[in-house]
Amino acid sequence: MNLLESVGFSLIDSEELSYDELLASSRFMSGDEARVTSQDIVGLDAHEDARTLVRLIQCSKCSLPFRIPITLPCGHSHCRDCLPQPHHRENISYPNTPDRRHGVVCPVQTCQREHPVGECDVDVTLSKIMEAITDVTAEYQPASEDTPMLLEEIKHYPRADSVLPEKEEDSMETPEPRSQVLNGGRLAATLRFAQMGFLDFEAEVGYQTLSKEGDDYRPLGERILTQFRESVSKELDCQVCYNLMYDPVTTPCGHTFCRKCLVRVLDHSSHCPICRRTLPIPPSLDRQPSNQRLKSLLVGLCPDLVAARAEAVEQEERGTIGELDVPLFVCTLGFPSMPTFLHIFEPRYRLMIRRALEGNRTFGMLMYNRAGQPQGDLGNTHFLQYGTMLRILNVQMLPDGRSLIECIGTTRFKVLRWSQLDGYIVGSVERIEDVSLAEEERIEAEETSVAAPALNAPPTPDNISIDPSVLVNRLSTRRLLIHGVEFIEKMRANSAPWLHQRILDAYGQPPDDPALFPYWFACVLPIADEEKYLLLSTTSVRERLKIVVNWIRRIEGQRWYAGSSCTVL
Amino acid sequence: MALPKRIIKETERLMAEPVPGISAVPHEDNLRYFDVKIHGPSQSPYEGGVFKLELFLPDDYPMTPPKIRFLTKIYHPNIDKLGRICLDVLKSNWSPALQIRTILLSIQALLGAPNPDDPLANDVAQDWKTDEKAAIQTARDWTSKYAAPE
Repeated sequence: MNLLESVGFSLIDSEELSYDELLASSRFMSGDEARVTSQDIVGLDAHEDARTLVRLIQCSKCSLPFRIPITLPCGHSHCRDCLPQPHHRENISYPNTPDRRHGVVCPVQTCQREHPVGECDVDVTLSKIMEAITDVTAEYQPASEDTPMLLEEIKHYPRADSVLPEKEEDSMETPEPRSQVLNGGRLAATLRFAQMGFLDFEAEVGYQTLSKEGDDYRPLGERILTQFRESVSKELDCQVCYNLMYDPVTTPCGHTFCRKCLVRVLDHSSHCPICRRTLPIPPSLDRQPSNQRLKSLLVGLCPDLVAARAEAVEQEERGTIGELDVPLFVCTLGFPSMPTFLHIFEPRYRLMIRRALEGNRTFGMLMYNRAGQPQGDLGNTHFLQYGTMLRILNVQMLPDGRSLIECIGTTRFKVLRWSQLDGYIVGSVERIEDVSLAEEERIEAEETSVAAPALNAPPTPDNISIDPSVLVNRLSTRRLLIHGVEFIEKMRANSAPWLHQRILDAYGQPPDDPALFPYWFACVLPIADEEKYLLLSTTSVRERLKIVVNWIRRIEGQRWYAGSSCTVL
Repeated sequence: MALPKRIIKETERLMAEPVPGISAVPHEDNLRYFDVKIHGPSQSPYEGGVFKLELFLPDDYPMTPPKIRFLTKIYHPNIDKLGRICLDVLKSNWSPALQIRTILLSIQALLGAPNPDDPLANDVAQDWKTDEKAAIQTARDWTSKYAAPE
């Protein structure tokens, strides 16, 4: 008789198998030409890993395959009958709903927290998986007769969490390892072994075929695993994105979705998409653990698909489409180096900002095209073609999922092409930059040289009014800046309301850099955004300063500041 | 613009396993826009009629519901002159776990069970309440007049 004995591959902490490990290895190799495709990642083997596979669906408490599995808020799963008796929760008056008045102490050693009964519902996905496995096994039974194999439970150590300290002595009398002759190849036999209650969750299994020819029935296992895989993976599709669940999170009502899908659902509503029960979980899901069992099942059964999903999600989360790689927010006017404060409440922009926060923290800010002006090659768009990239500095998340963000403007850009993604706009943009300093100097020299020297004297409202536009054009760049700075000083001396301390607190003191001064000036000046927008397409400091001086000229022309209480221009 | 996997899968399934009495075909140039035909349910005033609708999946579908409108004129208390439909699952009771298939089934069910207590077309609902028999007859007449199968 040919003796064939081996111990199943051990993967005790299979519950902790995470995508991160899986991805880390795939990413590690993805840099060079020997790129690992997702097909290269192999799942657990029906023969070699039969023990590990069965452990994926064994309750760690009773060691039986799950019977009415419940996934607790901590992400661990147990049979319903394996949970301790619910007890009345003391000293809790809010929210005091009937389903939260009783709780169970988590049997998982690393958790041990009190879970309200209302958050411990049957895990629908895991239950369906168990049903699918039962169905496959039932169909498979007749085909596997007379393929005997001796299974032997191998215990390496006493179970750490199975006994209370005072029962220590009893536990020393570990029952004898159990053994049984079973049919159907390693996987089916191990599953049966576990169903009979002969296989401790942490124990390994020794196999010895009783076939006279030494057949280890390997193909049988492969066949049944393929069937398991097929019927189980059907249950592992997320009901929101219709893809394989990626980072599955189970709601207190027992429904499972991809984490990202559930977060997006919570942007729109606080109800479970399937049963419509109110979800008592903070909308960011930041502290909501993943469903550990489903995660292990996914990685154990179809790591190739999980890796492919991870890649796709990563691409999606960049929040871009191919070259249209800049998320665009059509809302207000932003300027380089100047702060912009935003209240994010629309679901589409919540998503956009979340993606930006996970990525490079930047997005483009555009203004609405209120006048319906054609925007160059873009035609008549609902936004103006020039904008400013904003980088998110601070985020204050509000409990309901809204957020207040503080951004700083970085560079200016022009939209070249655009499309929609999940409700917001993405585009391909071209950076708008100032000309070189040499060119800047050349422009100044050219424009000012035609001027008579006398005209370079400080302008007064009187001489500007002679031929203002020509005059402004002939002022030196330095003089243009001084004109702006002096105007601000004058306005401050007059206590202009738009230079209130509150505004200076937000935008700071006027910057010394002439390139930035106009942006600051535009931020504080109470004129229409459409006027200020002109600064975004400028390509020289001089051009911007001239715009500023022209605003001043118009304001001074109206002489509104001289004692008038009017603050709006 | 790339079409989300969900829309592709839904479309495939609608094609592979069509719902009896309902068809939804996406436009070739815009895969978010569907031409829909719903057969009036039997034993309803709409029996024998084939109603055309347009269905559009907005950019943030399935987070927001599809936009659906009757193109065929229909006499129904919950459907107005412009073909707009008063159906909770198309508005506040939308859930991303619903899909084109289930929504079209709901609309078909609405044809079988008009609800004049939650009207969109007030005049129709009024007729329905005051003289149901006559209203049903009008619905029949409109069906044979406007919704005759081609």
